[in-house]
Amino acid sequence: MNDHITHDDPGSADDALLEEELRQAAAILDAVPAGLLQLAVEAYALHDLDARIAELTFDSLVDAIPVRGAVDVPRMLTFQAGGLTVDVEVTKDGLMGQVLPPQPAGIEVLNGPRQTAALTADELGRFTGQAPTSGPFALRLSTGGETVVTEWLRA
Amino acid sequence: MRAGVIPSTAYHDMPYTRGEVVDRADVGVLVQSAVDGDAAAWKALVEGLSPLVWSVVRAHRLSDADGHEVYQTVWFRFAQHLGRIREPEKAGSWLASTARNECLKTLRGLSRLTVTDDPQLLDRVSEDRTPEQSLLDSEEAAAQSERIRRLWQEFEELGERCRQLLRVLMSSPPPSYQEVSAALGVAVGSIGPLRQRCLRRLRARLDARGTT
Repeated sequence: MNDHITHDDPGSADDALLEEELRQAAAILDAVPAGLLQLAVEAYALHDLDARIAELTFDSLVDAIPVRGAVDVPRMLTFQAGGLTVDVEVTKDGLMGQVLPPQPAGIEVLNGPRQTAALTADELGRFTGQAPTSGPFALRLSTGGETVVTEWLRA
Repeated sequence: MRAGVIPSTAYHDMPYTRGEVVDRADVGVLVQSAVDGDAAAWKALVEGLSPLVWSVVRAHRLSDADGHEVYQTVWFRFAQHLGRIREPEKAGSWLASTARNECLKTLRGLSRLTVTDDPQLLDRVSEDRTPEQSLLDSEEAAAQSERIRRLWQEFEELGERCRQLLRVLMSSPPPSYQEVSAALGVAVGSIGPLRQRCLRRLRARLDARGTT
């Protein structure tokens, strides 16, 4: 679209030049770290057309009113895909959660394109595991012949 | 200052003219190819749009560890939603607005679990030197390097609003105003005037230092 810049102001060419200088400076002094770029390239492996996405519908970080003086409050997350709900609680000590309606499920904790850990949800849909120490994570659930992946987010 | 409305053709011939960037025109096509299984198309998307995502992260002044995680979250989510994105040609805006939301969430939740720096990743990063950085090492480039450093220093000392806007605008290739709007939650119509004002301030700082 060519809608944004209008230029019969004689200063606009100077502005464009200064902006271009800034662009060069950013490319030199504050470029995307190469390690990150590589991770984003590898993230293509996370592209999975067959899985349903369970969207984040509640995040205590955003939706909850903070309790005055409360420290180390667990992060509560709810994901939904159709009729399936996944509640997750993240604390320093680990992950705890439940699949609803209650049902057994195989659960992989994805921690980037490279690492995963496997968990199992019991008959009541409950599961526990280690929380990823750093980096974004997602849960991939296999249940009733279906694969559901929660939206990626930071722990 | 007149509110100019007559586009100058000469300006549009310049390489940094917004809206003429070929990379952006191809975005929709690249997204579709990536959906169809073309890994090279995905790589091209990452290379073409990473500077925009990174600029949004940097504009929000997160710690390195937080910034790296936000950057990853944005790309992981983009990979996940690939093929479900309603307007593939606007993938840049999608990425910019996802990055902004994650940055805001991070800033809001700073008292939550502290993120440990990933030393492995940070180390790896610090060893990488871009060709431009290596160039700066050479003596011939010393003067140019000094000028760039001074420009950067003055930019860093601008007020928060200008610093944010310019940091996003200076991503490469130049972002569209729709992308800038998505990155900062600023109305498209106010970006032009703001940009002009911020560049003017920056120029005044440089002039005061006698560096132009």
